[in-house]
Amino acid sequence: MRKLVSLKDTSELMMDLAYSSLLLNSRELAKEVQILEERMDNLHTEFEFLVLSSGFTPEESKDFLGLIRLGVVTEKIADAAMEIADVVLRGLEPHPVLRLVIKEAEETVTRARISDKSPLVGKTLKDAQIPEETGMWVLAIRRGKECLRPRPETVIRAGDVLIASGYAEGEEDLKRLASGIPKQS
Amino acid sequence: MTELEKIKYKPIPVREALTKMKDLSELMIDLAYSAALFNSHELADEVLELEEEVDTLAYLLDMNAMIAARDARDAEDLVGISVVAAATNKISDAAADIAILVRREIGIHPIVREAFKEMEEQITRVEVKPTSTLVDKSLGELELAARIGVDIIALHRKKEWIINPSEDQKIVEGDILIARGAPLGIEKLTGCANGTIKELEKLE
Repeated sequence: MRKLVSLKDTSELMMDLAYSSLLLNSRELAKEVQILEERMDNLHTEFEFLVLSSGFTPEESKDFLGLIRLGVVTEKIADAAMEIADVVLRGLEPHPVLRLVIKEAEETVTRARISDKSPLVGKTLKDAQIPEETGMWVLAIRRGKECLRPRPETVIRAGDVLIASGYAEGEEDLKRLASGIPKQS
Repeated sequence: MTELEKIKYKPIPVREALTKMKDLSELMIDLAYSAALFNSHELADEVLELEEEVDTLAYLLDMNAMIAARDARDAEDLVGISVVAAATNKISDAAADIAILVRREIGIHPIVREAFKEMEEQITRVEVKPTSTLVDKSLGELELAARIGVDIIALHRKKEWIINPSEDQKIVEGDILIARGAPLGIEKLTGCANGTIKELEKLE
């Protein structure tokens, strides 16, 4: 079942990264989507083999069909994400409307630079609890020239740029956390 | 099977339409997973209705993009919009597929429910008890997304479903909330809803 969790999480990460690549017109992020797509294909095939080889009785076949279909759904989502990332990879300059759409949608993508005053410096992503504090999820970390995949153990450094997606209301909270400037109440 | 109506061209602001398609498709995915998780035919029906809306928007958007392009340059500029619209449409179709699974009782293996608990973003269903601090507050006042990273995607009151409730929506005792968010946030929401967390300030 870990595979199904991975499939769902990966497909949704791909979607978020794809929108962010469009918003930020970033080939790098679009390439991440491509890398994830290959991973998805493998994961999905493995998942289907696993389900088919689990051995089930005729009564159980309905449940197992449901599992297979769920896998197919995550693949569909991943494909859609790839189509979006393709726009950037093909060098088509994203129409300004697209940027506005992504920014104005309920779920948006944003970039936040960690200043040395930020309370996040030196914390692991897990300890930082960014989703709980801000409602935003870190998709990728730009460190110098590298694009890092966020892991719970990843330690946040000053100068890192967090690329995050989530509820638009959370964007301010994230920016505040990143800059270390306290809330003016 | 619903009768498909002819979709006539009408001018629509591309930005609004596309934003709506994005929002709807993302909402639909969450609602569809919720429908599967809680085996709710009603939620599944809501998803299918939303799918029709997204389909219509996709058609209108394409028509508008076609009319707007006057030369090769315009075509290059606008094709990105068509592609994104098509992709969000695909996502909404995927959500509808899940909804159909629920409707047809094709069944989701119980293991999947366990798997859902391990997802990064969790979906939960909580009932608002009379002692809950959430009672009589509007969603806008509660600011759940900003405070605890939780989003209420649907509200079930008596026999009705309110999908994607607005900020002005007040919570009433007995409401069933379908929420999505980070695990810790979901825990806090559950505590608030059943009355074990007494003060909202404790949420921060």
